[in-house]
Amino acid sequence: MEPKEPKEISLEMKEYLVSAGAQTLDHCMSCGLCSALCPWRLVSGHTSEVFYIRRMQRLAQLGLEGFDDEEVLFACTTCGMCQRNCPRQVKIIENVRSMRSTTVEAGFVPSSLRSVVGSLHSNGNPWSGPREKRMDWQKGMEVPAFTPDTEYLLFVCCTSCYDPRSQKIARNVVSLLKAAGVSFGVIGVEESCCGETVRKIGDEELFQKLAESNIKLFKEKGVKKIITTSPHCLYTFKHEYPELGGEFEVVHYTQILAELVQEGKLSLTVPQDKKIAYHDPCYLGRHNEIFEAPRNLIKAVPGAELVELSRAREKSLCCAGGGGRLWAEVPRGERFGELRVLDAEERGADTLVTACPYCVIMLEADCLALDKQEKIKIMEISELLSASMGRES
Amino acid sequence: MDKKLAVYICTGCGIGDALDIDALSNVATKEYKVPVCKSHPFLCGAEGVGMIKQDMEGEGVNTIVIAACSMRVNYDVFNFPNTIVERVNLREQGVWCHPANDEDTQMLAEDSLRMGIVKAQQMSLPEPFQAENLSKNVLVVGGGLAGLTAALESARAGYKTVLVEKNSSLGGWVAKLHKQVGLKPPYNELEDNNINQLIKEVEENPDITVYKGAQIQKISGAPGMFDVEINQGGSVATERVGSIVLATGAVAYDATKLSHLGFGQYPNVITGEMFEEMAARGEFKRPSDGREAKSVAFILCAGSRDKEHLPYCSAICCTESLKQALYVKEKDPEATVYIFYKDMRAAGNYEFLYQRVQKEGALFFRGEIAGIEEDGGSLIIEFDDVLVGDRIRTEPVDLVVLATGMVPTTAIGERLVVQSDDQGKDSEPPADEIIKSNILNLEYRQGPELPTLKYGFADSHFICFPYETRRTGIYAAGSVRAPMDIPSTIRDATGAALKAIQCIELTAQGSAVHPRVWDLSFPEFFMQRCTQCKRCTVECPFGAINEDEKANPLPNPTRCRRCGTCMGACPERIISFKNYSVPMIGSMVKAIEVPEEDEEKPRIIIFACENDAYPALDMAGINRMTISPWVRIIPVRCLGSMNLIWIADALSKGIDGILLLGCKHGDDYQCHFIKGSELASYRLSKISETLNRLALESDRVRMEQVSIMDYDRIPQIIEDFVSKLEEVGPNPYKGF
Repeated sequence: MEPKEPKEISLEMKEYLVSAGAQTLDHCMSCGLCSALCPWRLVSGHTSEVFYIRRMQRLAQLGLEGFDDEEVLFACTTCGMCQRNCPRQVKIIENVRSMRSTTVEAGFVPSSLRSVVGSLHSNGNPWSGPREKRMDWQKGMEVPAFTPDTEYLLFVCCTSCYDPRSQKIARNVVSLLKAAGVSFGVIGVEESCCGETVRKIGDEELFQKLAESNIKLFKEKGVKKIITTSPHCLYTFKHEYPELGGEFEVVHYTQILAELVQEGKLSLTVPQDKKIAYHDPCYLGRHNEIFEAPRNLIKAVPGAELVELSRAREKSLCCAGGGGRLWAEVPRGERFGELRVLDAEERGADTLVTACPYCVIMLEADCLALDKQEKIKIMEISELLSASMGRES
Repeated sequence: MDKKLAVYICTGCGIGDALDIDALSNVATKEYKVPVCKSHPFLCGAEGVGMIKQDMEGEGVNTIVIAACSMRVNYDVFNFPNTIVERVNLREQGVWCHPANDEDTQMLAEDSLRMGIVKAQQMSLPEPFQAENLSKNVLVVGGGLAGLTAALESARAGYKTVLVEKNSSLGGWVAKLHKQVGLKPPYNELEDNNINQLIKEVEENPDITVYKGAQIQKISGAPGMFDVEINQGGSVATERVGSIVLATGAVAYDATKLSHLGFGQYPNVITGEMFEEMAARGEFKRPSDGREAKSVAFILCAGSRDKEHLPYCSAICCTESLKQALYVKEKDPEATVYIFYKDMRAAGNYEFLYQRVQKEGALFFRGEIAGIEEDGGSLIIEFDDVLVGDRIRTEPVDLVVLATGMVPTTAIGERLVVQSDDQGKDSEPPADEIIKSNILNLEYRQGPELPTLKYGFADSHFICFPYETRRTGIYAAGSVRAPMDIPSTIRDATGAALKAIQCIELTAQGSAVHPRVWDLSFPEFFMQRCTQCKRCTVECPFGAINEDEKANPLPNPTRCRRCGTCMGACPERIISFKNYSVPMIGSMVKAIEVPEEDEEKPRIIIFACENDAYPALDMAGINRMTISPWVRIIPVRCLGSMNLIWIADALSKGIDGILLLGCKHGDDYQCHFIKGSELASYRLSKISETLNRLALESDRVRMEQVSIMDYDRIPQIIEDFVSKLEEVGPNPYKGF
């Protein structure tokens, strides 16, 4: 074999990465647990062959070229499986974010994400939806507006504002909150995307812009407490806004509903004779440690039988929709969501319930791709609960 | 001493239920006319022991056979001063591994009792060897961390100590260190080393005599009475000491052999030792131009774990290099540190240090150095990084520091192979290697220094008793024994000092040192029949036996570990212990009843090493495994004490097979006496001659290596041998 030209170490690049957020990059000892736990190991295909998070971090440690290949750099779904188990507590997702920023901040965005970033800049949402249509999801229903007297702001994820399938989630959450007598309201078209995903994509500047605009808006409106429909918004409000001056009490809607069910304020009466498997969304479970509330809600539905997937709770397998991967084109057979549908089938479930708008999109598409839509129905928890209250969503 | 023999049979622990005790008692009373024979349901209880004591006082019983449990238990209960005690194992190796109320089990028990009785008849009470002019002083050779620690520990324990240091000042390697890694939590900080405090304490201690700039010219004698000649600048002092701690440490591997890493070729490639000097001066300057070094690369395993250089790991270089990396980072946090390693082995608690250095931003590289080149004084390193999977190239580095490994001081010198006279003949056991390192200069027949392992470290029983070298009374500590760091060296030196003190006290009592600490017997030579063949002086694993000019053996009882290897080696069978001898074991062999051929009850003798095989056989019994009823087990001190005559005796009596169970030998030997099992296998290779003379098959004798944990394999090992003997057929000498 011809000896290859050695790769040159660049301490300048390494310093840049550290300053851009990869502060624990040097803590990595390259043990490789991250790569071994990575969901990409569970599928075949090109990305699985080229994307090794350990190697990517190793290259970054030395400022060597190679981590910035697009298919490597943007493969991570930020599911957090590696980070949660890292023996050196390396903040791996921060490192990924920092590495992505080296190209994104220089203006190189992967083609699949160009429209997303563009729309966030111009519309404040990633779905290329006009800002004035942000509240179209509530057509035909009474949704209270947020006032200083309202206890909670209901923050609806951009996905549930614009995506027709996902809008049902927002509508169901509103009905459930109303039925339980929760004091809440929505702000409307002035809201912007929470910025969670764009930060993961590596556009730190855009994230700061979105976050600052939301924080300013929430403060002006007198918001103290927030209910989110999406675990991603929950994560960023709870863990990332405070350092920018946005201190709010934030909950996911499943948390507040679980409490209300326990207090008897929400009665679920219509039996749902289903064998239900619950898919823990990464951002609700691993990232926010909410494992029980959604399960308690499912168990409260009469007739529903909850079965646990083989990979559940902290060990849940990602749907592949995080970290900007929602918009990625992934060949069949390489999608984590397909494994999730098969997981549910293996446990004999007829319904796969989850609690995240991204997961619903991914799992529904993968279920269809497997042609198992007749066998396994994908539902968001709010949909299951609404059905049990006798409302068709 | 007029012997009055008594046999006590315990019927507890299932023995009484499984055996015909009356028939067993008849063996003692009828066959051997033993005057006192009693049984008791709980012999180890106060009442049982009281019964024995009463017989001793009332009946004058002074030789006792306890037919009960294994000799490995209740030895404190059945301990009667000035009384010969022999144990017969009816429990673990009797009823626990053989069916109850069975003819064969009864025959086994009766044979065991016969063997016990004849041995007791022949044993006499050991009289401890009392040497004259015993010294209780300790000699410590080497005044580094290990030597200073050992000297201070001995003196504090009340033993006068002599410390000999080759250099003009004390402190050794550690005194050259700018700082040391933290010896206490959080284990990631640097501390000033306190070697100067230790030196002061040693020099001020009235019980320690320090010879600096001195060397040992000669050591003669034996534990309790070593005579040491110390040459200090031409004048010779003599000291008599009881035991010796060898703490001469190690030196760094010669970096001039590392030209492939640029040493000697580029001025800015230095060793860790040189870097310590820079650190002590407080500045890291490039030797080439005196410019301050802003980037430093540490190359670990420089010449270590490398078959061209030192094949082993020196245990401290990773930690020491991490420490040196912190010197750089503490002086200038912006400085660049590269650390190239094969495996990061920050032993002890120093994983914490490794993590800290990582967090300080040092760059770590795992793999192999591909090359170093110089560019205007700076150095560029090419490296095959296994974590990237590619060859990488550093930015220019100001200084490269090589972490060289440790070479024990015992490894430096001319290599002597201790030859026996028939060296070179077939199946001679491998000869010992002794390196003339000019450290101890022992006047021993087997050479002037300690026998060494292949890398020049003193040979010892690495697994069980690492301090015990192969010269009794000489205990190696610190890096001369094995590469070790500061905390390990302190512990090691303290341990060796304790061993040295134990040796002094045990020698004064006439007892053996480890591993037969209770043993007061020692070998006695019936010199009239000695043929000066030198087998004993050659084979003694501990160099206990010197020779006079006519090749007569000159035993040194206090050097002896009482393994009996000399007894096994002697073709004339003139070496005996009071309670262990060739005729004694021979008569045990002869006491076994051999049934006629048509009874189809073969007989197999197992000579079982007392250290591992015998307890493993006990464990098989404790686990209620079933063992072939044909075996008769005779414990031996070490397989090295096995004399070939026993095999000849057994076979000529009609015994069908002989199985030797001894410890593992070879590189990672487990033999408690280093060479014993190896020598037994070598002697066995010569047995075919004897077997041919008797017209017998060599398959009748087999040796197996077992460790104490192999108890579960033992029934099968025996079964396999039984099947082999079935193929071979009965011993034709039966009935002769």
